[in-house]
Amino acid sequence: MSALSRDAIRTMMAEVLQAQGKMMPEDDAANLETIGFRSLDFSELALRVEDEIGDELNFDAPELRQIATISDVLDFLEQLQAA
Amino acid sequence: MSDKTEPIGPATVVVVSGGSRGLGLAIVEDILAKGAKVAAFARTVTPELEAVAAANPERVHAASVDVTDVKAINAFLKEAESRLGPIDALVNNAAMGQDSLHVHTSPEQIAKIVETNLTAPLLLARAVLRRIMAKGNRGRIVMVTSVCAQRGYSGLVAYSATKGGLDSAMRTLAREMHGRVLVNSVAPGFFASEMSSVLGQTQLDTITRRTPSNRLVEPDNIVPVVSMLLFDDTNINGQVLTVDGGNSI
Repeated sequence: MSALSRDAIRTMMAEVLQAQGKMMPEDDAANLETIGFRSLDFSELALRVEDEIGDELNFDAPELRQIATISDVLDFLEQLQAA
Repeated sequence: MSDKTEPIGPATVVVVSGGSRGLGLAIVEDILAKGAKVAAFARTVTPELEAVAAANPERVHAASVDVTDVKAINAFLKEAESRLGPIDALVNNAAMGQDSLHVHTSPEQIAKIVETNLTAPLLLARAVLRRIMAKGNRGRIVMVTSVCAQRGYSGLVAYSATKGGLDSAMRTLAREMHGRVLVNSVAPGFFASEMSSVLGQTQLDTITRRTPSNRLVEPDNIVPVVSMLLFDDTNINGQVLTVDGGNSI
């Protein structure tokens, strides 16, 4: 299956937040801590992406610690799919 | 064979896995300072270990060996004995680290961690014990494990499982050897090493803050404990000695 688009990943991220009663801001520069998107939420999002593309996206925690904004999340998942 | 009721003597020829840097190298240097001989190996022999070997040609046998290569390990032990004399002790120190959530660690990576941190040390202990027993000797084994075997730390699932497995094996070996070989573990807390270098400053600060002694463990804190288990008559057997500044209490 082909890689998910940035927009599709963004929609999935909004769904992860929505399931917790949180809103996805319009601005991709929004800080993850501010919107309440934790590392385990990233993990959930990555697993949802995996389900869609039918492939595993494995990575080390230090890479995850660099992620601070929505844009970083989308960039990282795009990179993982391309790897 | 010596009388079983007599204390097991200090180690004379010690095998150290992962002896080329960090804690392993510090253990090698300490063993030499105590007057014993060392057979040290690592995947890569560093200039530091080379220098130690060059300065002590009669007392150090160093080689580049992958701890997961059983054939190479057996050849290394045989060569070490021919140069240094009968091996009577082992410090099972070589390990690889981990810093990834379990759900994002590939099956291949999990298998590699288990092979390096659990299977390889068990096979090395087996090989050393076979040599000790075949000669009717007695000896000592020290497993370098981790506080992760006792407490949960995020990002270290497979690593913790291997260290816990090694602690369990250590206790069973101590029982199985009936006092002929003293088998113990030293479980360091997090200390500045290549393995902990993957932790962010925030994680290191948190660990330090939660440690009653208010400082991270240093290799210099671990070395004397390993040394005691190799050389002193303590009658400690089948135990995990945790060195973590009280972080796990």
